[in-house]
Amino acid sequence: MTRLSLARLWVAGAGVAAIVLAAVLAPLLGLPDPVRMDVAHRFAGASLAHALGQDGYGRDVLSRLLWGGRVSLFVAASSAAIAFGIGTTLGVLGGFLRGVTELLTVRAMDVVLCFPPLLLAMLVVTLLGPGAGTLILVLAVLYVPGFARVAYAGVLSVRAQDFVEAMRALGARRPRIMLRTILPNIAGPLLVQFSLVAASAVVLESGLSFLGLGVVPPTPSWGLMIADARASMAQAPLLLLWPCLALTLTILTLNGLCDALRDAIDPHPIPRRRRRLHEALVPGLLPAARPTGAELELRGLTIEIDTPAGPIRPVRDVSLRLESGETLAIVGESGSGKSLTGLALLGLLPPAARVASGTAWLRDAPLLHQDEATLRRLRGAAIAMIFQDPMSSLNPVQPVGRQIAEAIEAHHRLSARAADRRAIRLLERVGIPDPVRRATAFPHELSGGMRQRVMIAMAIANDPPVMIADEPTTALDVTIQAQVLALLADLKREAGLALIFITHSLPVVAEIADRVAVMYAGEVVETGPVEAVFSAPLHPYTAALLASAPTEGGVPPQGIPGVVPPPHALPPGCRFAPRCTRRIDACDAAPPPLVEAMAGRATRCPRWAEP
Amino acid sequence: MNGSPAPQPLVLAEGLTRRFAARGLWRPFSTGPRAVQAVTGFDLSLARGEAVGLVGESGSGKSTVGRLLLGLLPPSEGRVLFEGTDLKGLDGAALRALRRRMQIVFQDPYSSLDPRRPVGAQIADGLSIHRLATAREAPARVAELLRQVGLDADHAKRFPYQFSGGQRQRIGIARALATGPDFLVADEPVSALDVSVQAQVLALLADLRTRLGLAMLFISHDLTAVRHLCDRVVVLYLGRVMEEGPTAEVFASPRHPYTAALLSAVPSLDPAHRRDRIVLSGELPSPADPPSGCVFRTRCPHAIEACAAAIPAPRPVGPGAGPGADPGTRSHRAACIRDEIIQVG
Amino acid sequence: MIWALKRVGISLVLVWIVATIVFLAIHLVPGDPAELLLSQGGVAADPGAVAELRGQLGLDRPILVQYGQSMAGLLRGDLGRSMQDDSPVADAITRRLPRTLELIGAGAILALLVGMPAGTLAAIRRGGVFDRTASWLAALALAVPVFVTGTLLVLVFAQSLRWVAAGGYVALAEDPARHLSLLAMPSLTIGLGLAAVVFRMARAAVLDVAGRDYVRTARAKGLRPRHILTRHVVRNALMPVVTVVALHLGSLLGGTVLVEYVFNWPGLSGLLVDAVSARDYPSVVGIILVISVLFVGLNLLVDLLYGVLDPRVRHG
Repeated sequence: MTRLSLARLWVAGAGVAAIVLAAVLAPLLGLPDPVRMDVAHRFAGASLAHALGQDGYGRDVLSRLLWGGRVSLFVAASSAAIAFGIGTTLGVLGGFLRGVTELLTVRAMDVVLCFPPLLLAMLVVTLLGPGAGTLILVLAVLYVPGFARVAYAGVLSVRAQDFVEAMRALGARRPRIMLRTILPNIAGPLLVQFSLVAASAVVLESGLSFLGLGVVPPTPSWGLMIADARASMAQAPLLLLWPCLALTLTILTLNGLCDALRDAIDPHPIPRRRRRLHEALVPGLLPAARPTGAELELRGLTIEIDTPAGPIRPVRDVSLRLESGETLAIVGESGSGKSLTGLALLGLLPPAARVASGTAWLRDAPLLHQDEATLRRLRGAAIAMIFQDPMSSLNPVQPVGRQIAEAIEAHHRLSARAADRRAIRLLERVGIPDPVRRATAFPHELSGGMRQRVMIAMAIANDPPVMIADEPTTALDVTIQAQVLALLADLKREAGLALIFITHSLPVVAEIADRVAVMYAGEVVETGPVEAVFSAPLHPYTAALLASAPTEGGVPPQGIPGVVPPPHALPPGCRFAPRCTRRIDACDAAPPPLVEAMAGRATRCPRWAEP
Repeated sequence: MNGSPAPQPLVLAEGLTRRFAARGLWRPFSTGPRAVQAVTGFDLSLARGEAVGLVGESGSGKSTVGRLLLGLLPPSEGRVLFEGTDLKGLDGAALRALRRRMQIVFQDPYSSLDPRRPVGAQIADGLSIHRLATAREAPARVAELLRQVGLDADHAKRFPYQFSGGQRQRIGIARALATGPDFLVADEPVSALDVSVQAQVLALLADLRTRLGLAMLFISHDLTAVRHLCDRVVVLYLGRVMEEGPTAEVFASPRHPYTAALLSAVPSLDPAHRRDRIVLSGELPSPADPPSGCVFRTRCPHAIEACAAAIPAPRPVGPGAGPGADPGTRSHRAACIRDEIIQVG
Repeated sequence: MIWALKRVGISLVLVWIVATIVFLAIHLVPGDPAELLLSQGGVAADPGAVAELRGQLGLDRPILVQYGQSMAGLLRGDLGRSMQDDSPVADAITRRLPRTLELIGAGAILALLVGMPAGTLAAIRRGGVFDRTASWLAALALAVPVFVTGTLLVLVFAQSLRWVAAGGYVALAEDPARHLSLLAMPSLTIGLGLAAVVFRMARAAVLDVAGRDYVRTARAKGLRPRHILTRHVVRNALMPVVTVVALHLGSLLGGTVLVEYVFNWPGLSGLLVDAVSARDYPSVVGIILVISVLFVGLNLLVDLLYGVLDPRVRHG
């Protein structure tokens, strides 16, 4: 819960409390009797005795307003409370016990939902006559299904969590699980529903009273007041205003509480992107060093993200070089910044992040700090990217063939039909059987391996010379991974593709990459040819990572004690020092730079030369 | 061969089968799969203190097996015996009491802990459910458990969100150990963790197993993780056992084409170990509509017509096999009619 | 296709259940129904009148027979006769139903045409002037009950400014211009609440979808922003919007009743309110039945629309 959402909650809660308090205290405020008529003074304006004037029957408006509020809020609160109790019980029982119980409780409730609420209320009023009591009964019945559904959905989603199964495995009895584990975890949505229902009940009650089918006069109600005032609209338009205002304000406040509760439970933090002046100036200010003929070159990339605790730098001063036809692996664990680096190259950073500094070239074309139109021309044509989770990375409502064709159409002028044909050929190229039929399939109809092949097809559609693969096989089974890696190797050979392969798995790097860059906590700590780096690492982290990797027999893997430092609490010196076995005092003094140790190899450890 | 009977296995599974049917009243109108058979004919014998690795890819049914063995799911066919007691015959209270002795560690460190309660309270749940400690004694026991898994005792008051993934897994292990179980099912306990943290947690599990004499079923898709921890390994494909045997033997000379393919698919740091990769063709068949006969035949590089005829039963292979060998001994077995073909060294 | 038929089948079953409940309603209430209907404010009814009413309503026959006759009558289109003037309920309903439908249709179209684009725009320029203003207006529109909006609109536009008449009706065929001018305020009133709901949902959905991985993929392919917006973002954001509209159909229909009352629009509601006041049970039942069937029908339509939009639902 952020501070802002907590503040909103307090404000909304205070608003509701104030209204409820005013209603509750109405009898004690020394107001004139709300039902006492004074026809001689009908439509009188504001006066000392009658702060808001008098209505068509001479009754005090302010008093009727407050007493009317009492009735409306009482009806709303009672019906909401009753519905809450019954509905939650039914929903929880149905969700937890499933089977026949579910049928009788939740599904049966769905029947009530077949009736528009107002109409069901009117039906009952026909039979039982109007009145506050009937109203509470009807409203309670109307709102039970809503609570039952929310409770049911909540229970189902909580049940799917492992910690509930853990309780079962521990041998806890069902009532204990329901009350102590499930109920507290669905309290949030239920509270939201309560405030929603309370607001809805106020609306419904006033609507019915307006029609003369709700609260019976002389009991005051806002709906009745509006109906009366409407009749005398021509003579005293102001009379209409007060109850409308009271009603609207109450509902507004209740809705506000509902929203604040929703936000407090399930916050979607909206990071504020503060625009800084120098952002616009920097690209032109610094002298742009020249590209050096590599397929892709990155120098000094630093990415900044604004957080409530201040800006953090999840990627700092990262430099890479990709030669033509080469496979460069970027390897690191979570928090290393490897994915962000890849995204930055294509200008696809999430909105909260931005490139604080750095330059990059794709052959001669500058990347980074370019305008969107320029980047768009390059993306998918000169440089392509495939992502980790092929299920969420494909549009669920578009056939896969179309999605591939789209990639072609974005960079070439050709008819949709021609694009579709090319898409089918691409599907074939990536090894999908029966490509004509599969082209019309939706992503959810394909297996994980096939989806990843579709992504690869999309990426190679325009024969890009460079491709970035962000953990493309992490989510796949090992035999499927083997297939996909074989496919990538094939494509590389055929098209001379230069590939940046981002992964956390060292064995995968050993199999497919020519060169490797090891990242830790946002920095590159070592680079070099794969064989050399893996047989004789020059940085303690690389060595520790190698020791953690699973091996074939012999020594069991060694972990690295400690955790990766979070970006807002970085150590003063070398970022790996707190966990390093070779640390000396000098390591904590200042962050060590990346130095070229030998030809083609760089490391950030100042002690690389020592044995 | 001595004449004394083998000690009773701690956990014995015979012919376990589990089917999932389409839900509810709408069964006749369901447009999805009718019934999915997640596990078929699973047998396992686990001795006290033994660690068995259960390996398979997605759709192999390995998680389902774990839950069947703990009685968290009832089998559609077959039975599970814990120390000779059939789980099916037990009523609710007796089953719950038995739960003390068998526990589970989950895969996802983020959903395995209740976000709204302090971790110490969650570890103590087992103690209070089975009345193993009074409210006064519980904190000391919790502190001891936390230390056992390598965490600080004063972390007990913190909430799950304050811990890293690896630490949460340790808490999950502490919770499982609270009741002093004899049998632990670890369902992919390190798959969601970083490599350097994986090694730490695996080392912890190995250590605890030796110290506490736990019998363990280690479920994983990662063969190499299984290698160091387990005495025996069982390989599953589409809910059926393809191969099982002593870990070292299975890894050194797999006798089922699937095991061979699985082993060869694992990327390796050591160039010497990079075998000629066997890349399987095709995709996993739909569990709702498995191939006839051997379920692996649609992707097997050695399949022949006879493979479709009947489901091959696991039969002894390797040095322990041969005429005169006792079929009951826990030897290396493979469910393939062509197992003599597979000679991967 | 099977999926669509399944949905239609369920709806038919629901209609039957609705009819049964409406039939049972009068019998579930404690006490003798005829007595209840005739008693006014605690004063017991005259026994002779009660007996007569029982005969009229057919309450003296065994319950199963009553049920059978009611159901048979429904299939024939016979909804009984009004207690007020003995005319067939079905006739009055048939006359007035199209006018109610017209109002609902106009309101819904307005709501979608305004809400969806506004929500999308607000999401694209999140935090900007348009977003904040529109969000505030939407919150206000959601808080004001529909009859309050209607009454205030009448006060401002009809009484004070005299731009339009306060209410009433003229057939489209007779005087199209006047018909439309009379349609304006009521449909605006109905549309406002729904527009606010659509706006909010569209805004939230567009924001959510824009952050999804497949939108990132679309950008990585080099697609044009407008293309991404229409084909990927809005296309996927439509689904939650359709869902939320379905959830609000109930209050839409209820709101229509109130709006017709405020603007004297001669749809079903006028009939309904009079009937309820007069405790004219057969009329009330008939109208409620028709509106409920309409409700089930609208839900079915929305369901089918959702199925068209989301292939995952079609494939089970």
